[in-house]
Amino acid sequence: MNTIASQFNNNNRNHVHHEINESNGGYGGVDKLELTPTMTLPPISQPTDFLRAHTDDATNPDCKIKIAHGTTTLAFRYKKGIVIAVDSRASQGNWTASQTVHKVIRINPMLLGTMAGGAADCQYWETWLGTQCRLHELREKERISVAAASKILSNLIYEYKGMGLSMGTMICGFTKKEGPTVYYVDSDGTRLKGDLFCVGSGQTFAYGVLDSEYKWDLTEEEALYLGKRSILAAAHRDAYSGGTVNLYHITEEGWTYHGNYDVGDLFWEVKSQEKSFNNVDG
Amino acid sequence: MDVVLGIRLKDCTLIATSKSVTRGISVLKEDDDKTRILNEHNLIAFTGEAGDTVQFAEYIQANIQLYSMRENDIELSPKATASFVRNQLATSLRTRKPYQVNVLIGGFDTKTGKPTLNYIDYIGTQAILPYAAHGYAAFYCMSLLDKHYRPEMELNDGLKLLEMSIKELQTRMPMDFKGVIVKVIDKEGIRKIDV
Amino acid sequence: MSDPSSINGGSALAMVGKDCVAIACDLRLGSQSLGLANNFEKIFKINDKVMMGLTGLASDVTTLHELFRFKNNLYELREERKIEPSTFANLVSSTLYEKRFGPWFTGPLVAGLDKHNKPFICGFDSIGCIDYAKDFVVSGTASDQLYGMCEGLYQPNLEPEDLFETISQSLLNAVDRDTLSGWGAIVYIITKDKVIKKVLRTRQD
Repeated sequence: MNTIASQFNNNNRNHVHHEINESNGGYGGVDKLELTPTMTLPPISQPTDFLRAHTDDATNPDCKIKIAHGTTTLAFRYKKGIVIAVDSRASQGNWTASQTVHKVIRINPMLLGTMAGGAADCQYWETWLGTQCRLHELREKERISVAAASKILSNLIYEYKGMGLSMGTMICGFTKKEGPTVYYVDSDGTRLKGDLFCVGSGQTFAYGVLDSEYKWDLTEEEALYLGKRSILAAAHRDAYSGGTVNLYHITEEGWTYHGNYDVGDLFWEVKSQEKSFNNVDG
Repeated sequence: MDVVLGIRLKDCTLIATSKSVTRGISVLKEDDDKTRILNEHNLIAFTGEAGDTVQFAEYIQANIQLYSMRENDIELSPKATASFVRNQLATSLRTRKPYQVNVLIGGFDTKTGKPTLNYIDYIGTQAILPYAAHGYAAFYCMSLLDKHYRPEMELNDGLKLLEMSIKELQTRMPMDFKGVIVKVIDKEGIRKIDV
Repeated sequence: MSDPSSINGGSALAMVGKDCVAIACDLRLGSQSLGLANNFEKIFKINDKVMMGLTGLASDVTTLHELFRFKNNLYELREERKIEPSTFANLVSSTLYEKRFGPWFTGPLVAGLDKHNKPFICGFDSIGCIDYAKDFVVSGTASDQLYGMCEGLYQPNLEPEDLFETISQSLLNAVDRDTLSGWGAIVYIITKDKVIKKVLRTRQD
């Protein structure tokens, strides 16, 4: 039954692999070709200490290897579906490493994941989650629920707890039996279902705007604007957020992309339209 | 973390400070007033290291009042008051035991007829702002105020805005700060407002 | 992260043109990641032909501005003339070195025209070493980016209008790659008969 799945699984390596690996001479006895990537660990006694010593986290901010950080992401549920809005800045210390990061990961046509914390961690594991969701469909002849998908990710992350993974993500989707659903999953192993989440260094600023205007009966237009506006608020006040806003909407038909807005232009447009941002001259 | 919030309106300045005092895991007091009146049109609101805060505020209060006594009842303007406070903090910073106090000074300039709000932190960073907050409160309130604040707001609109900010803090901050004391500084002087 | 010279953020630079100098700064005042104010000017007028830029710890920027205003007033009273930019640079230098063992956390710049209207610019480290330059000087949290922009865009003997364009583009594109700088910018062009101030409309993130 699991012939396809087994190709993507380390436990049951198929005959093709054996053939290739045997022709390689088989020295050391380690398989050379696998479809699933495996995690290599530094060959020292305490890999976790090694990682902590050479990458930046809260305890060690001035090391050499800097992981892209700093973000504002949000997702909220409302009557018509789910709105997802994110910024696009990646910073390493005070250096703006990129203004064009895509922080929404398209897991499959029905599921979206957001990216905060380690960019590589989120990108890799949420793409991996996509393969797991596809395998679920092949096995069960049914689309995976958002609850199950987020649990797969959460369980995987928990396996690596304490080893330096850094992720704060929202897994968002719409299924028949669940309706619009948002799960918050982070690298501590926390997994929460909820209506409204903001994640990242600019989360508080996004919450500030979002909480003051959010209601369940928002129209689609209002909801999309609120998502965009909340990210704009964070992009303005938080040094580590900015660049552009990416907007997504999810309904039972799956997700639709609602555009990319440069904060450089969006800010002045919103300011003159709303007559807000009175702290800024011009 | 204490909440210290200030909003400058069309013809007055609002200052709100949280009522709770906590030490360790206990709440020691739930009707604390974290402000001192400096003179008729200047109010200082403070937060920071326990002990330093009140000592510093009352030291400033005494010196501002001494100035008025010496100088023939001349009241120090908000600008002069803020400069004096900033200078004290900046000087203190390079001593063996600096005052770790962050303040907001709400004032009304009787000469120009304009309300002002001064933000000063323990380092001596000074900024004149339309709205300001110290500590974690700033992280929630600044974006909210960026959206909803209008410079021509009257007292009533200001109080609604303040209510909105406090509501946000109550929903999102992990600690109960036991509500706020609100004071208004305008041409009539300083008065407390019941909320 | 608790480095005093990068708590508040902010950047400045100065450039030499043909019979003119330009000095520019951003307007951000922050407290680490939180933006506090967007009207924090880091360039101060000393007299009609001398200006100084001060970046670094905002508290020291304010303190030093007040201190140099005081010292310059004393100079003008005693000498009954305006201070020359090179003289002022030496005043800045010795003032900074007074605090050799507990420095001000700032990176000052001086730009101006001397009595023959010859351009003068220089920068300093935090304890008063003068960095004389013929082309440009930079300072602040975006100084790395500013060096890159200036090395790329600077040309000698630019007329005031072109110098304005060059310094503006250098500043704007540098601060856009620094998380702690930006939030508006101001440019001053000092020529022999006037100082032109221009406020630049910039990105607000």
